[in-house]
Amino acid sequence: MTPIVEGRGLTRTFPMSSGPVTALRDVSIRIDEGDYVAITGPSGCGKSTLLHLLGCVDTPTVGSLLFEGRDAAALSESERSRIRLARIGFVFQRFFLLPMLNAWENVELPQAEIGLNPAERRARTAELLEYAGLGDRAHHRPSQLSGGEMQRVAIARALANRPALLLADEPTGELDEDTGEQIADLFDRVHADGTAIVVVTHNAQLAARARRHLTMKRGTLEASES
Amino acid sequence: MTSRALAWRTVTAERPRAVLAVVGVMVIGALLFDMLLLSRGLLVSLRQMLDTAGYDVRIVASDGFPIRSAIPHASAVADEVARLPEVREVTIVRTDRAVVQIPGRRPVEVALVSLTEGAERRVWRLAAGRDLGSDVRTNSASPPAVINRGLAEALALGPGSTLRLRVIVSGAASAVPATTFEVVGVADFEFDSADEYAVATTFDAFRRARASTASDDADVILVSSKPDVESSATVAAIERRRPDVRAYSNAQLVARFDENGFAYFRQISFVLSSITLGFAFLLVGTLLTVSVNQRLGQVAALRALGLPRRRIASMLAWESAFLVGVGGLLSLPAGWALARQLDGILRQMPNIPDRMHFFVFEPGIAAWHLGLLAATGIAAAVYPVWIATRLPIAATLRLETIS
Repeated sequence: MTPIVEGRGLTRTFPMSSGPVTALRDVSIRIDEGDYVAITGPSGCGKSTLLHLLGCVDTPTVGSLLFEGRDAAALSESERSRIRLARIGFVFQRFFLLPMLNAWENVELPQAEIGLNPAERRARTAELLEYAGLGDRAHHRPSQLSGGEMQRVAIARALANRPALLLADEPTGELDEDTGEQIADLFDRVHADGTAIVVVTHNAQLAARARRHLTMKRGTLEASES
Repeated sequence: MTSRALAWRTVTAERPRAVLAVVGVMVIGALLFDMLLLSRGLLVSLRQMLDTAGYDVRIVASDGFPIRSAIPHASAVADEVARLPEVREVTIVRTDRAVVQIPGRRPVEVALVSLTEGAERRVWRLAAGRDLGSDVRTNSASPPAVINRGLAEALALGPGSTLRLRVIVSGAASAVPATTFEVVGVADFEFDSADEYAVATTFDAFRRARASTASDDADVILVSSKPDVESSATVAAIERRRPDVRAYSNAQLVARFDENGFAYFRQISFVLSSITLGFAFLLVGTLLTVSVNQRLGQVAALRALGLPRRRIASMLAWESAFLVGVGGLLSLPAGWALARQLDGILRQMPNIPDRMHFFVFEPGIAAWHLGLLAATGIAAAVYPVWIATRLPIAATLRLETIS
């Protein structure tokens, strides 16, 4: 079976004025359909860098990354954009919802971008907001939502185009414990419904929900347990 | 949701920024609009004035027009021109400077004017009393005069009043005895200015006032072409028939004025227009750049979600278009209101005819103005678009998260 994404010998070095900094060293990872992977580790160990490589928003300095069998480095920026739009969902620590749009419109935006017709968009958006428990908050703007609600809108947005892979970078980092639990429950549902998830987190309870745990330290994968 | 709709939502969501930008563009645009109006206003106004009188060709004595030089034997020239098949009507205009003396009042300097009989209806509009004409009879033996409204108000004259007038020679009242005129009418002259007084009379009375009954000089001969004849054809016909005079169409006169007297306005207008466009560019560019810098996280997230660069670029271009478009449209009425104020100030300069304006509205100028603002808006969006579309997604997300 072709993995959704597979990184081989991934190294990412950032040029800095004080000299190059290597955030990721020789990391190999494979995410298959149905995976639920938690990546933990201290701050600055390279978790987010790895997530960005897996999500095709960045390219490795050394190594190769295959997304559904295609070499991400060989793709053009617009091809990578298209993969992100159609096959990957992103959830960010700071939500990054568009503040001028309401919950409905935020969820509808990626669907419009991929070219879904209005009727399909309406049905899918209503379904996703209900799925995220926000049916009654559809016409509220982010400023009128709580942190947990914003993150649920962000998850609904990430699922808008039925991605194969959901990537979440500290999705509970801005939330209290109870709200974090709600988000973890939602991830469980998403996973149960067949979407592969990779979550980068410091939240032990959230990480405990994953089926596979990876630990990073100083840019390398230290341990892997299933 | 289209880029335009997204941009509109962004603009309306950030109201203080939008209001600041729109007001800024409106003020700058108003100045730009005024500079563009000023760049052509006098020319358009002059052309309108020349055309309104109904004469499309002017004959002068030499090539030095508008420097004053008399046409000798003007009646003969006019008769010959009137016989040309291209010509419908010919009017001889004679002018001189004179001083009007009213007992108990300070003498007032005036322009003494004589026109071919019948031409009055084109050159002035009667406001009170009667016109000059062959059948006009005065109550006294004095010759008739039509005076302009300014003189009537300044000296409290009206139909039935008399005035004594003495021509000026070399800047001083001449030794020729003063002539007494009876005012038969008060009129608004086409070329009146607020500080210019005029007295029009018959050719006989004009010659009597100048004490030169034999003279047949004229300042200018006005010619009206037949309806289906181009002014240029009339000009050519006149110059073929009378190579000793110069004929100019209204368009040629305006062109000469544009070349000679109008260069200052054009240069000032060009410099100030460039500066205002520069300000518009800086204002919109700065606001958009600041706005993009405040939204780098959002932009990076949108890119991470798969929105392509062109979508981000188009959204920002629309934002710029909204800010500049709304401000630009508002700048038209604002600029026009300001132009009227400025026009009022400039027209207080001496010897500016009442009907002459420095700012004249033209649809073409408004279109130019909006086009220039649109181009400025596009140029101003280039840098913020470049920032937004070229930002490194991963690094930006990391920075936005830790900041």
